[in-house]
Amino acid sequence: MSEEVLEGTDTIEAGYVTVEDLKRNDRIPPLKALERAPMPVIDCLEDIPCTPCRDVCPTKAIVMKNMIDRPEIDWDKCTGCTLCAQACPGLAINIVNYFFGKKSLRKPGYEDYSLVMIPYELTPIPRKGDVVDVYDRGGKLVGEAEVFSVIKSPKFGTVLVNILVPQGWAFEIKHVEVRRR
Amino acid sequence: MSVDRRIWEHPVLTWDRGEPVKFTFDGKGVVAYKNETIAAALYAAGIMSFTQSSILHRPRGPFCMIGKCSQCLMRVNGIPHVRTCITPVEEGMVVETENPHESEFPTPVSSLEVERKTLSYDVIIVGAGPAGLSAAISAAKAGAKVAVLDQSPYPGGQLVKQTHKFFGTKESHAGTRGVDIADVLLSEVRDHENVDLYPMAQAVGYYAPEGMLTAVRTDGVNRYTLLMMKGRRYIVATGAMERTLAFPGNDLPGVMGAGAAQTLMNVFGIRPADEVLIIGAGNVGVIIAYQAAQAGIKVKAVIDILPKTGAYLVHAAKIRRMRMPILLRHTIKAVYGDGKVESAEIYEVDENFRPVPGSEKEIRVDGIWLAVGLTPSVEMLEKFGARMKFVPELGGYVPYRTQYLETSAPGVYVAGDASGIEEASTAIMEGRIAGTSAASSLGLGGDELEEERRQAMEWLDLFRESPDYKRIKQGIQKVLMGERV
Repeated sequence: MSEEVLEGTDTIEAGYVTVEDLKRNDRIPPLKALERAPMPVIDCLEDIPCTPCRDVCPTKAIVMKNMIDRPEIDWDKCTGCTLCAQACPGLAINIVNYFFGKKSLRKPGYEDYSLVMIPYELTPIPRKGDVVDVYDRGGKLVGEAEVFSVIKSPKFGTVLVNILVPQGWAFEIKHVEVRRR
Repeated sequence: MSVDRRIWEHPVLTWDRGEPVKFTFDGKGVVAYKNETIAAALYAAGIMSFTQSSILHRPRGPFCMIGKCSQCLMRVNGIPHVRTCITPVEEGMVVETENPHESEFPTPVSSLEVERKTLSYDVIIVGAGPAGLSAAISAAKAGAKVAVLDQSPYPGGQLVKQTHKFFGTKESHAGTRGVDIADVLLSEVRDHENVDLYPMAQAVGYYAPEGMLTAVRTDGVNRYTLLMMKGRRYIVATGAMERTLAFPGNDLPGVMGAGAAQTLMNVFGIRPADEVLIIGAGNVGVIIAYQAAQAGIKVKAVIDILPKTGAYLVHAAKIRRMRMPILLRHTIKAVYGDGKVESAEIYEVDENFRPVPGSEKEIRVDGIWLAVGLTPSVEMLEKFGARMKFVPELGGYVPYRTQYLETSAPGVYVAGDASGIEEASTAIMEGRIAGTSAASSLGLGGDELEEERRQAMEWLDLFRESPDYKRIKQGIQKVLMGERV
């Protein structure tokens, strides 16, 4: 018997979600919608009696008939306002501004970068300019990234940490930790 | 004191600790803060051993931190068996460990003051958690004169230790953190002049011939008031008690219920441990793992003997992405340590829950948190003479009840976890149903009250449509009595 590094069970039954699971559940926004606005990626894959995302949506883009239903997104109605990401009790919603580099930032070398907004309730809360380690849903290190901005609305009390990442990471990542500031 | 386990940085919580207060523990000085209880202050000072087992003199530490277990009993200012976890510190207090072996009678306490008070109310509610507070608000809105008793110095039940936002809908305060829901409910209670809230008042008995409930209110360690209360209706909202597990070393200080760890971390801002192993990967287990991270505590692993976490996926996923392992089909073999937890041994099980040979792993931790389920606290219901039944789906013995939550004891209602283990959101709705029903049975309220009850009942039905509620619904069917209005 020895002290070992403990590896968690790598199944969805043990809370280990992958991008494949999201794809199967139609959780990845279509390119057409991403070209128009930032879009939510909702990691809500089971029936939970929970409605704040639906209730907060100003354009009724999140559809849920009964409180136990999963949220379904009307991609045409979503404006990417981020309120659902701030309201979600499960911290399950990222907002992906997929074409941020090309359309908004316009900084040389950042054409293929996305801005991913991640809800955050840990310390230290990342600050603008910090370099953060970026992790996927299973806790695997994807790489490092720069914090572009941090939003905290007093109404919801959940911080959104907005990081600049290559487009290829945009749907993979789900967690950040401050590496240096 | 050189050791200070207090937390000074937290992403969600801040603590109003109050002024520094000095007291002595077994002759040594301890510096605490006014808003801490004795047990919290001792833990902050690094003291984990509070009492001893009576035969082998094994050290014991607090298990529940909410006044339900007996592992924090100490002699305070000469008074034996004080529940130190719910007794606030006072300047100059003398706290001593007790020797349970000691055969002499407790020394008479000359400084004890006991006052008596006789009181009458329309509705008396035992327990000021989400169910009790919601019941009080509903009954008070209908015009009832209401009393709410709670043995803790800080009402709000288990809401006060929840840093996460709750599921549910607007009607159940969804999207609001548990700790903030407690504030919302308490301020609504205080807005009603016809509600008297009695913190630090423990209901101890019910005398049927006199129709009288007795409660002991602590006004200070040496001052008590015996409350003799007559209610026209009673609502029992006493919540639940955490379960333990049988394994060698399960009594070592540092092994505690998940709720006790939450109380220390989130109510008092004190780190119960630096590195922990959590047993049970249901909602409580994974939520407390996340709360540990918020408090700066390292979670070595969350283990569960079942092949699937019982938690909502979003809660489990929150800790997985932070690299906290959830080990399924794993259980605890033993906990080791000299006077306190130093390490734990876990092992894997096969499909038949038999140990997999050679799968033992030793983990260095100084805390073991048990999140292995809850049992309804039903002692008061038994005193009222309510007919009980053991219903595994609801967590243990629970009372028979009508759809309006009246028990078989006429005029005695139940709400929240005492009626069966569910969630805070359902406790709020059950509180509304019991509160409106109690008031309505007294002829109070009108159409509005009836509508509030109807909405709460409809909400509960929709909430319980969730697949996770199938068992609970089956359990409720076993104790549902015919209609009584």
